[in-house]
Amino acid sequence: MPSRRRTLLKVIILGDSGVGKTSLMNQYVNKKFSNQYKATIGADFLTKEVQFEDRLFTLQIWDTAGQERFQSLGVAFYRGADCCVLVYDVNSMKSFENLNNWREEFLIQASPSDPENFPFVVLGNKVDVDGGNSRVVSEKKARAWCASKGNIPYFETSAKEGTNVEEAFQCIAKNALKSGEEEEIYLPDTIDVAASSQQRTGGCEC
Amino acid sequence: MHEFDLHYLSDDADYADSMQQGSASMTRSGNSNRNSSSEQVGAEIVYLKDNVAIHPTQHAWERIRGRLKLIKQGGSLLMTWIPYEGQSSSARLSEKDKSLYTIRAVPFSDIRSIRRHTPTLGWQYAIVVLSSGLAFPPLYFYNGGLKEFLATIKQHIFLVRSAEDANIFLVNDLQDPLQRTLSSLELPRAISVANSPTSSIAPSESSFSRTDSETIDKNSAFIQQNGRQRQNHNDPRHLSIQVLEKFSLVTRFARETKSQFLREAHGDGFISNAMRKHDKKPNNSFVVEYNDVHKPLEDVHVPADLSEYDYDKLSLVWGKPRQPPLGSKEWSTFLDSEGKVKDSQALRKRIFYGGVEKGLRKEVWRFLLGYHSYDSTYAEREYLAPIRKSEYETIKNQWKSITKEQAKRFTKFRERKALIEKDVVRTDRSIPFYDGDDNSNVKCLRDILLTYSFYNFDLGYCQGMSDLLSPILYVMEDESQSFWCFVALMERLGPNFNRDQNGVHSQLFALSKLVELLDNPLHNYFQQKDCLNYFFCFRWVLIQFKREFDFEKTMRLWEVLWTHYLSEHLHLYVCVAILRRHRSKIIGEEMDFDTLLKFINELSGHINLDATLRDAEALCICAGENGEACIPPGTPPSLPFEITSMYNQQDDDDIL
Repeated sequence: MPSRRRTLLKVIILGDSGVGKTSLMNQYVNKKFSNQYKATIGADFLTKEVQFEDRLFTLQIWDTAGQERFQSLGVAFYRGADCCVLVYDVNSMKSFENLNNWREEFLIQASPSDPENFPFVVLGNKVDVDGGNSRVVSEKKARAWCASKGNIPYFETSAKEGTNVEEAFQCIAKNALKSGEEEEIYLPDTIDVAASSQQRTGGCEC
Repeated sequence: MHEFDLHYLSDDADYADSMQQGSASMTRSGNSNRNSSSEQVGAEIVYLKDNVAIHPTQHAWERIRGRLKLIKQGGSLLMTWIPYEGQSSSARLSEKDKSLYTIRAVPFSDIRSIRRHTPTLGWQYAIVVLSSGLAFPPLYFYNGGLKEFLATIKQHIFLVRSAEDANIFLVNDLQDPLQRTLSSLELPRAISVANSPTSSIAPSESSFSRTDSETIDKNSAFIQQNGRQRQNHNDPRHLSIQVLEKFSLVTRFARETKSQFLREAHGDGFISNAMRKHDKKPNNSFVVEYNDVHKPLEDVHVPADLSEYDYDKLSLVWGKPRQPPLGSKEWSTFLDSEGKVKDSQALRKRIFYGGVEKGLRKEVWRFLLGYHSYDSTYAEREYLAPIRKSEYETIKNQWKSITKEQAKRFTKFRERKALIEKDVVRTDRSIPFYDGDDNSNVKCLRDILLTYSFYNFDLGYCQGMSDLLSPILYVMEDESQSFWCFVALMERLGPNFNRDQNGVHSQLFALSKLVELLDNPLHNYFQQKDCLNYFFCFRWVLIQFKREFDFEKTMRLWEVLWTHYLSEHLHLYVCVAILRRHRSKIIGEEMDFDTLLKFINELSGHINLDATLRDAEALCICAGENGEACIPPGTPPSLPFEITSMYNQQDDDDIL
């Protein structure tokens, strides 16, 4: 008999403006891509049910504004995070160089209890653009940086084509699960209903 | 949640005698009484008191005396106070004043509470507070009878004494007032009757409320909604007397303004329209037209002397109905022969209540935004146009002339340009004006924003600016004029985009103070849930609801906000209005910060603009000076004290 205990895993997506944070989230949760996403103002999140070892989790994925100027909001949005996803655009060196800033800013603002071991996952997005010809950050370079920061898991993704998105978020969920010690949470009925129906239709994909 | 004991009038020795002789209406059980009362035909006067006066000024000798009545009509109880003919105590009080203060058949379903004053010296008086939070002027019982007045009310409807102030009697405290209309200023804390030890009162209370609702608003869907929510939100409230007395003044102010407005408004479209509607009703109908929310009270028949259309009272309960937008013909009447705006206050008021027709926006927005001053002439405006255009071109050339070689060595310029280019291609692309590849208007957005980031180099570019510029360019269809209008708008909203976000934070702070004033239970709820930072309203405030309404409605809202007619900070009252519309859901579903943020984000596209504006207007009037006191000086969109200190350049700035 599988346990029906619910747990909430909170994931924050950070990265420069326009690297594809909203698109990655929507591709993972809704399996959709749009060219018409607006710049995120403030923050928003989507939830998705995931299953591990017969246990059901609610993955709460937070999408935030990418402009540094909005970082003062982080305190409110980052708290209680179980995993942080750092996204850059493989076609933009600046967005890659900023990963370190985003990582440090997150650790300061979220102030997790064990910052040394707090799980991050890095995504190099937009690998589809121009057939890879406009790429400026090599996979090797990215992996080297991830290794230097305590072996951060790394994925190369295309939110547009869905490449590696599912795999990346599986990893994100697993890492979130390792860090979050399965806090029991209360979910309002409305979300319960939506969640269980989602589970019925999409349960097998886990 | 606060919990406190409910006190009932039956516990009160003052009322013991009147209760004994009264019909046992409060001890009735559920439906039996309801049936007997609602089946009665016609109106029955259940209370009549002569020599009940109001004092329209602070001078005790200036009073208007009249007759106070309680009338039972179907399942409803109505209150009237009609001044005597030709008996003014002072020559200064005209018949008009009298009619201004006349209380014509107010159903108790519209009344929130009654406060009793029984000073040891002087006359007893009562203040009747409407559901909207507004109050009638104090009614002085020169011949006594206040006690009987309350006792009679209690015989017919549910009346409960406030726990915190024994002189406050809460009336009809059953339905979620928000759903009813605007309305209510809920000063006071709420408790759930269901949780209180005295929940046995529930049957009689709901029986009244049902009767009342069905009679008054039989067809109205929102009442059904109330019915559903009523269980959770029986919120006996007690009222702060200082605030109440303030409202009493506000009421007078509102009435005076309104009567002046009525005098001025001959031939005014929406007034005459409302009057026409009234004319169609039978003479003995008391009609309340609350636009699209309330249905006429056709079932409430009252004696003929109460039949006069009480337009005056309506704005006390809800903001005024929206008018049709300002058109070119009417616009020309606001201009004198030289092209100056004769009365900018009147113009702003007109736009506040109706907005501007599409085709006229191009012209009128320039005034609203401050590109043209109201007292400029046709000739001056014509003279200035090419000058501003050339000024714009000069600034634009500052970045246009940057060569590739120079740009290579100018990281901040490249980054700023890249950021703008990323954002303009995701700004309002669903609007045909910005649709399609290589759209020249999208390029124009980029040019203006980049030029602005040179004009105001310290502030630079920040996400959200493209949202603010896009409707302006759409309306102006002219690059340099759009730029200068945007500059004028950013003089007010620039602090929203400061690096330390202080502009937004000061507005969110003011918002929290306004909610504390206007909806204390909701404030307490947010406090309990650790949500007082109001970050869930961040998007609303940063870009003035741009993402919450469709393009057309956003423009309508903005032109109303830009009038600064009732307040420079009407947008904060709009925030309060929207929150209040959903308060029962927010509290009922025990939303925490996360769910609240999600809920607020998902309201986008589902907010009724006109209703929200009317709520906001009424809230703004209700809050009055207390509301403005919640908003620290200099809070955007107020103009900052010192323009020069507005943008604090910081060294750690890595995006220009």
